[in-house]
Amino acid sequence: MIRVRDSLSRKLTIMNLMVSGVALVLASLAFFAYDLITFRNNLRTSTSIQAQIIGENSISPLIFNDPDSAQKTLSALHTSPHIVYGAIYTANGTFFAGYWRQDQPKHPYALPAQALGSQESSRFAKGQFEHTHAIYFQGKLVGIVYIRSDLSALHDRLRSYGIILILILSASLLAALAVSRVSQRRVSQPILRLAETAQQVSREKDFNLRAPEAGDSDEVGALVQSFNEMLLEIQKRDSELQEREQQFRTLADSIPQMAWMAEPSGDLFWYNHRWFEYTGTTPEQMKGWGWQTVQDPERLPQVLAQWRISLATGEPFQMVFPLRAGDGSYRDFLTLALPVRDARGEIVRWFGTNTDITEQRRAEEALRRTEKLAATGRLAASIAHEINNPLEAVTNLVYLAKKQPHNLEKFLQLAEHELDRIAQITRNTLGFYRDSASSAAVDVSEVLQEVARLYERKLQFKRVTLAPEYGSDLTILAYPGELRQIFANLIANAIEALPDRGCLRIRASKTRSWRNGPQPGVRVTFLDNGSGIPPEIRKRIFEPFFTTKKDVGTGLGLWLTANLVEKHKGLLSIRSSIRPERTWTAVSVFLPFQPPEQ
Amino acid sequence: MQPTPATHPMNDWQAVSVPQLPFLGSPKWQPHFSSKEDGRPDREEMKDRRKIIVIDDEILIAETVVEILKEEGFHAIAISSADDAIEMARTAPPDLVLSDVVMPGMTGVEIGIRIREIAPQCKVILFSGQAATMDLVEKARRQGHKFEILAKPIRPEALIGVVRRQFSQA
Repeated sequence: MIRVRDSLSRKLTIMNLMVSGVALVLASLAFFAYDLITFRNNLRTSTSIQAQIIGENSISPLIFNDPDSAQKTLSALHTSPHIVYGAIYTANGTFFAGYWRQDQPKHPYALPAQALGSQESSRFAKGQFEHTHAIYFQGKLVGIVYIRSDLSALHDRLRSYGIILILILSASLLAALAVSRVSQRRVSQPILRLAETAQQVSREKDFNLRAPEAGDSDEVGALVQSFNEMLLEIQKRDSELQEREQQFRTLADSIPQMAWMAEPSGDLFWYNHRWFEYTGTTPEQMKGWGWQTVQDPERLPQVLAQWRISLATGEPFQMVFPLRAGDGSYRDFLTLALPVRDARGEIVRWFGTNTDITEQRRAEEALRRTEKLAATGRLAASIAHEINNPLEAVTNLVYLAKKQPHNLEKFLQLAEHELDRIAQITRNTLGFYRDSASSAAVDVSEVLQEVARLYERKLQFKRVTLAPEYGSDLTILAYPGELRQIFANLIANAIEALPDRGCLRIRASKTRSWRNGPQPGVRVTFLDNGSGIPPEIRKRIFEPFFTTKKDVGTGLGLWLTANLVEKHKGLLSIRSSIRPERTWTAVSVFLPFQPPEQ
Repeated sequence: MQPTPATHPMNDWQAVSVPQLPFLGSPKWQPHFSSKEDGRPDREEMKDRRKIIVIDDEILIAETVVEILKEEGFHAIAISSADDAIEMARTAPPDLVLSDVVMPGMTGVEIGIRIREIAPQCKVILFSGQAATMDLVEKARRQGHKFEILAKPIRPEALIGVVRRQFSQA
């Protein structure tokens, strides 16, 4: 709020008074000066006339040496009260006759020096006026008149002038004050009202207020008008803002999600209707951190911790947690919250939504079950196909054996072979092929070399470079047959993927796995620069009977390998790149030193 | 159905070279159609016999089916690859083709279509161990190619019945 320290109207009044005061004083001074000069001149003239008259009348007393009659002549001076002393001197300057005002000591004054030798002289000195007049008779100096008068008359005059001046000054200042009060109202009043309105607007935040129109088309009028227009504009924007706020609330209430807003401190200050509908709470209960009451008490610490992290870092908040409905049941919600920032990047509030994902989760669960069923179905169909072919052969052979008894042995032999095939398929798919009863100490590098030898011809045929890097002390406890099968499958896969003149690196070294705490073991990595595995295929790669090589593959290799690795408590991971010209696949098997418990 | 004209240079089935079949082709086991003692028709009778090509990449299946058909007096040949089968059909058009559906290179459906182009009167029967092959057959049907399809394993008696019915319809 703006405080008015120095009122504009006071300033205007003082200014007015100063202007009129200075004008009056200047005028009075000029008048004074003029009056002073006039007074002096009058004094000089009247004194000169009096001196002349006395001089005329003093000729005969001087000639006849009659000071008494001169005295009489001089006594006429008492009519001029300001004359303190009048005297006649003889031509040589000797006192002849004199007049003294009653309050004056009766002693003659010496003639001033300039009186001798001049017709007339006068001067102001020491607050007095001196005048001398030479008396001639028949061209001969017979005497001198000397008159002294004080200036009290002048002083009186000046005093009364001063009093008059003060009276006039006061009167005119009062008048000026009155006039300025009236006239300044036209100027200052609109401004004062404008200031008052502005203060009120900023105090009450009420943009409906208007400054009263001045009615003039001067600057103040324009100012008031602009101010009012500005208020109107603000009011318009204000109502637009309110309208938008209303729209936002309507939108927020119409969405199926629950929505809320929070202060940067984390206090929630607004929820949409859905929130209250679902939780059965009231706005009062939910103020600030009241939302904690609808949380699952077990999950609350986690939720609080993450919410505080988001508040501290400004990172978007994302979490799934249950919220209690009005009936006491819980449903899972995906909660997302984003910070809203101002132009400087400071967070001004958080905006969050809670989306009920219970149904979605159920659907996902159902889908997973369906997927599992589908996978089982695919497995069954694949098994059926794998078995139907040898079964067909056996059926035919049995029929032929009946028809051609002389070839019985041949047909039975072939049928037996086909039945073996069926048995192998069921063993590989429906149950595990059991290796030699117990595990044994196996040197991984030896097994690798052994398996690689099996593929020598295939490698040569494809002109594949084999680059083995085997470390030392790679002996682990394992089932040798199964280990062989794991490596054989992985090498076979790599060779399949490799182009002509490709390269297969096999690296085996001692290492540690950190997946389930530190665990020593051996890691074997098969790295080929073959075609790579596209991500969509990588997802299904461990599914049984999933194959990209329909004609030659059974789709059981990796599935079986993964199962065998798992049986050894090992880890199987595949990384692959299908970046053009840079395709590769790295299959890594980690096998722990410890014997697998059986 | 009429046998193909005898004037065709490659008409004689006996002249066609058949790929080496590994399972039943042992010295112990001889084709029966050349001997008269076992009650089978002789070369003269053979000219009127129906000619059947059996195609399956599982060569044992192809050969046993051929043997079963021969038992019934048909003139059958087992072939394990689609290309060989087409070549065979081109040189000596058969009366019937019995083919597996899922095979490397070419499906039984494609083989059937190709052979019908070469020998329009030839009948085609497909057999398969996979339910998924129904999609292939259905797709072919929509394109105007109808095939009878049998599910593996099929009892030999039933197979013979189907083959006979095909010829009696003709």
